[in-house]
Amino acid sequence: MENSMPKIKKESKNKIRVEFDRTPLKERLKAKFLNFYFLQTIVVKILRFIFLLGIAYVVLFPFFSKIASSFMSPEDLLDATVRLVPKNFTIDIYKAIWKDLKYLEAVTNTILISLGLALIQTFVCCVIAYGLAKYKFKGNGIIFMLVMITMIIPHKTLQSSMSMNFTYFDIGGILSFLSGGASVGIESIDEILAQINVFGLAEALPDHSINLKNTLWPFVILAATGLAFKNGLYVFMLRQFFKGIPDSLEESAYIDGSGDFRTFLQIILPMSVPMMITVFLFSFCWQWTDTFYTTMFFTNLKQAPLMLSQIVGIPKSLDTSGAGQALYETAIYNTCGIMIIAPLVVLYVFLQRYLVEGIERSGLTAE
Amino acid sequence: MTEQVMPNAAIKKPKKKKIASLDKRKARVGWVFVLPFLLGFAFIYLPMLFNSIKLAFCDMTTITGGGVEFRFTGFENFQYALFTDAGFLQTLTTGLGQLVFEVPAILLFSLFMAILLNQKMIGRAAFRAIFFLPVVLATGVMESIEAGNILGTMMGSGAGIDDGSGSSAASEIVSAMDFEALFASMKIGTELVKYVVDIINDIYAIVNRSGVQMLIFLSGLQSISPAIYEACRIDGATGWETFWKVTFPMISPMILVNAVYTIIDSFTTGSNQVMTYIANAPSGIPVNGTEIATAMSWMYFLIVVVILAAVAGIMSSFVFYQRKD
Repeated sequence: MENSMPKIKKESKNKIRVEFDRTPLKERLKAKFLNFYFLQTIVVKILRFIFLLGIAYVVLFPFFSKIASSFMSPEDLLDATVRLVPKNFTIDIYKAIWKDLKYLEAVTNTILISLGLALIQTFVCCVIAYGLAKYKFKGNGIIFMLVMITMIIPHKTLQSSMSMNFTYFDIGGILSFLSGGASVGIESIDEILAQINVFGLAEALPDHSINLKNTLWPFVILAATGLAFKNGLYVFMLRQFFKGIPDSLEESAYIDGSGDFRTFLQIILPMSVPMMITVFLFSFCWQWTDTFYTTMFFTNLKQAPLMLSQIVGIPKSLDTSGAGQALYETAIYNTCGIMIIAPLVVLYVFLQRYLVEGIERSGLTAE
Repeated sequence: MTEQVMPNAAIKKPKKKKIASLDKRKARVGWVFVLPFLLGFAFIYLPMLFNSIKLAFCDMTTITGGGVEFRFTGFENFQYALFTDAGFLQTLTTGLGQLVFEVPAILLFSLFMAILLNQKMIGRAAFRAIFFLPVVLATGVMESIEAGNILGTMMGSGAGIDDGSGSSAASEIVSAMDFEALFASMKIGTELVKYVVDIINDIYAIVNRSGVQMLIFLSGLQSISPAIYEACRIDGATGWETFWKVTFPMISPMILVNAVYTIIDSFTTGSNQVMTYIANAPSGIPVNGTEIATAMSWMYFLIVVVILAAVAGIMSSFVFYQRKD
């Protein structure tokens, strides 16, 4: 940089030309790449990439090894030299599960049920969350607290009473009252109450209640009232999202003559599609893999629709006895798992974009 | 916008009574929106809650010909769970210990990952997709299959075969012995070393369960204005300083939300020791198994609520809220 004095030439009356000495390429590259800052950035980038790869490996490895072991024959499972690549490639396990465990029937049932329930849950949670986010009324805060309570108290704590509640289902004692099963503990009144028989309900319902087990109703009722699995979380997420929508949007809709419900259905819902897809994805996937509610409500497999999460088992046509029985059975269970989540993986690949986008846009804050 | 709003105000102003009734009408519509939840809460959830609490204090017998009968027994079920039952107290203490260990680990990990995933880099979308995979896939039936796998590892450990459970993946990546040797020579306290080693050995479970938290942190990070970071750079703050002086305070509300969520989540998951114990209790106890299990789960719930309230109370005093203008 010794002769850094630029040469100035006068070209015409009001035009000059300045000639700089260009630094040679080698020097420029050196300055650009051989400084501390650049090196630091590169090292950080590489380390970060390696770290993320490592974590991705931890996440994906169980899936890889499950898939690998599902293609192995029993001999491969016992062979310690066979790790991730099967030696005797076989699809026996898949075939057996497909045939013996009624896979196709289970998939069809699960798709229909999960889709329906997830749609109901998404819509109902949107409605509740919108009411909580955009309308000021007395008790708004209390209702939000109640929603949080339903999220905090685990359904497992309520398991036995939930199961009983749907076995002897009754809406606030109304059914029992109409069919003459109500009782207040005073004999004379109880005698009169026992005479009540509206719509012939007393003959239709000898127990004064309906058994909703092995039907879809418990799921539908829980979904339609925003009480299903993790619905409190969805309401919370959606409420934050709706709060972020400026009020002026609705105000202009009202001025243009749109009512509250029309504004909600035609303006608010279409613009919250990414967020709704997030909620839909959660509820669909969690309903799909659910075992807790399915085993609780579908107790009789002959009456209830067969769900995917219930097919986990050893197919009859596979002979698991012999050396390494435990391992072979584990491999079969894992294969069941793969077949259960395979449709979900496809769905996830298409919808994962919205999962992140929806949450990012929600501007979720702890207010 | 102002042009649109002005005529509206002009129309509404003469009728002052109408404004009050508009508020009322709004409130009514609000009630309609939350009606599904209210109905469900009143007719489904409250009876369920009430029955569950009743069950914990009662002795239930099934009447022949349908129906059940309750007999109030006071605190008998609780007494049985606490003093007569062999494993409950022990499981409870180890379970709570697990909670204390896991929650900070999940919080730290998800915050760290969210910060990494928030930076621009090659393959960011792919990494995000992979890390959120467990949120939707590793639940319910997969969780129970995983639990079976660990059993399989124990039984078939002699053969040294990969059975697809995450635990084997983790033990392949790092050996706790190496780490202990490394940290021991650094003369950091042994408790810290043990904690770090435990986290690394438990990495699969932690990664699996920090998906939602990562999403929440990520959304928090996105909501921080880039102008603040620019100002920091111009003022010559280092990355370390920027993190502690800007990112951390701005994200502290999220830390509170995530702490609460993680505590709730980790005591409601099926893989939780205490929950598993309670779920298996009815088959193990000769009489009144269901009632005692309900009593156990209410006790556990109350303890967790106390912890939750304490954590939320302590943390909320450190939370920084950006003042909105």
